[in-house]
Amino acid sequence: MARMDLRNIAKRYGPVEVMRNIDLAIEDGEFIVLVGPSGCGKSTLLRMIAGLEPISEGEFLIDGQRMNEVAPRDRDIAMVFQSYALYPHMDVARNMGFSMEIRGADAGEKQSKVAEAARTLGLTALTKRLPKALSGGQRQRVAMGRAIVRDPKAFLFDEPLSNLDAALRVEMRLEIARLHQRLKATMVYVTHDQVEALTLADRIVVLDSGNIQQVGTPLELYERPANRFVAQFIGSPTMNVLDVTPAEGGITLRNGTTIGFSPAVPAAIPAVAQLGIRPEHLDIADPDGASMVGVADVVEHLGSDTNIYVQVEGIGPLMLRQHGHLPLRPNERIGLTIPADRMHLFDAEGIALR
Amino acid sequence: MSRKAPGEIRARRSFYWRYVLEPYFYLAPAILLIAGVMVVPLVIGISYSFQSVRLLRPGGGFVGLENYLDLWSDRKFWIALENTFVWTIGSISFQFLLGLGLALLLNTRFHGKRLIQSLVFLPWAVPTFLSALAWAWLFNPTIGPLPHWLTAMGILGEPQNILGDPELAIWGPIVANIWFGIPFFAITLLAALQSIPAELYEAAEIDGASPWQRFTKITLPFLAPMIAITVMLRTIWIANFADLIFVMTGGGPANSTQILSTYIFTTAFKKLDFGYASAIAVALLILLLIYAAILLVLRRRLVKI
Repeated sequence: MARMDLRNIAKRYGPVEVMRNIDLAIEDGEFIVLVGPSGCGKSTLLRMIAGLEPISEGEFLIDGQRMNEVAPRDRDIAMVFQSYALYPHMDVARNMGFSMEIRGADAGEKQSKVAEAARTLGLTALTKRLPKALSGGQRQRVAMGRAIVRDPKAFLFDEPLSNLDAALRVEMRLEIARLHQRLKATMVYVTHDQVEALTLADRIVVLDSGNIQQVGTPLELYERPANRFVAQFIGSPTMNVLDVTPAEGGITLRNGTTIGFSPAVPAAIPAVAQLGIRPEHLDIADPDGASMVGVADVVEHLGSDTNIYVQVEGIGPLMLRQHGHLPLRPNERIGLTIPADRMHLFDAEGIALR
Repeated sequence: MSRKAPGEIRARRSFYWRYVLEPYFYLAPAILLIAGVMVVPLVIGISYSFQSVRLLRPGGGFVGLENYLDLWSDRKFWIALENTFVWTIGSISFQFLLGLGLALLLNTRFHGKRLIQSLVFLPWAVPTFLSALAWAWLFNPTIGPLPHWLTAMGILGEPQNILGDPELAIWGPIVANIWFGIPFFAITLLAALQSIPAELYEAAEIDGASPWQRFTKITLPFLAPMIAITVMLRTIWIANFADLIFVMTGGGPANSTQILSTYIFTTAFKKLDFGYASAIAVALLILLLIYAAILLVLRRRLVKI
């Protein structure tokens, strides 16, 4: 268990700066998820924490000790790789016990630790197998077992579930959540999948093009995104964004309708602003008297939900999600209203207005 | 008593034809080719060893095991056998170790890597005859620098002719052979090194392995299949490799650099005794077959990937 501090960290490859101003304090026992689109630097950041990439600038500390110059093997952290990185010439038991073998640990202690980890992960029957004789899910478990046996200060996960099929991914996600509850260890988890981020994290760090966009609990990110990037990245389907202009006590949509603020009135609305509204927060109303009127373009029936793509007059396409089954047919006229308390407003740079 | 079903015999015959004979029909071209190119010459060659085939004394015919009995009591054969071991083991071990070292060096990142990689291959591209001559000159105490350098370093007492000293002469061709054989190991092992996933090293590093432990626990097991096969092939080649010795020392002085393959060559083409040369060749063949069998068993035991 450990507390980790990232202080003003930057990463450069030659003259190219790929990360900057990374400031983050990870509490003891916290589950932190680094999330962002591909190329945002989340894996690089994790590898800097692991010690596999040098830190160009700034300071990284574990329990107050500076780690920048410390070799990975002396940082006492375990890592689960996307490709699992199992040693193909060693059987499952030796793979899991490799760190203890390296340290020259007592054979009996090693055996009991490996057996215990194998039992927790349901691998007892497979300990004599080579990795090539395992399925994807089993390999994933062995990789986790290898980390557990270490009993490290912190666990790092680099997109551990992205090579698994959808059903197995849900199962292993649950297993990782259980593992965290049981071990109460500090964990840093990298993913591009927002569902994994939202379900696993104590706090999520959203990264884009080498910058931290926002750090917060899953609900904070969903309800109070700091900017348009976070607003559109978190939540599925993606948040609708409309251009608006300021009006007396509210804002005016491009189709001329004015929506009043209630209850909170944000600071001054700039001349160029945008309104964000999540698909699940749009309400269907009678076409007469609704703030927006449009035609249902495509209707997707998912059973539990219905997704509707609406061509709104004077505004353009909007996405709407309604709970349950909605008996709507394509090309039907519908009206939409925007609940004032569900609106997100952004300025021209995409920063949230509060 | 049941009657035979109509067409039963024909059906059985067609079963026999389809599953037992027909496949060989399709394989026939390859089998004939292999037989014509490999098996027939081999059988003829082995059959010579049971005959007296001397061009200077025609009309020998079948002599049974006489050639082999001569071989058993031939002092030159045993000297050549011992020299073959020194020559092969001396060459292969240094070629392998230095080639592995070179491969590990080439597997790092540095400026001009591609150029160096292609330069490393050069000794392999030089005709053996030329490199043998060049090395013979390098060892020559009158025009070559090596004896003088060795003397200056205190390894030799005086700049003498190494290739003329029965105690040392075998090391002349061995050194030339090491120089000639390093690129082969360097290039093949480099290819094997590059196929090891980088993540395994990272995982091992995080698991706490030191550079030496990463080498012994990750690199070597991964290289093992390639090491087994290249060492086997090279051993067989080197044991049969007569060019360097033939050009540099011609087997002398006093047979001190005579190995089996040069002995076969001189017996066959200088003494023109093909029967006896075949007997030596069969002995060498049997030794190499035993060696290959041992190495293949070891490979199956040790290699898990």
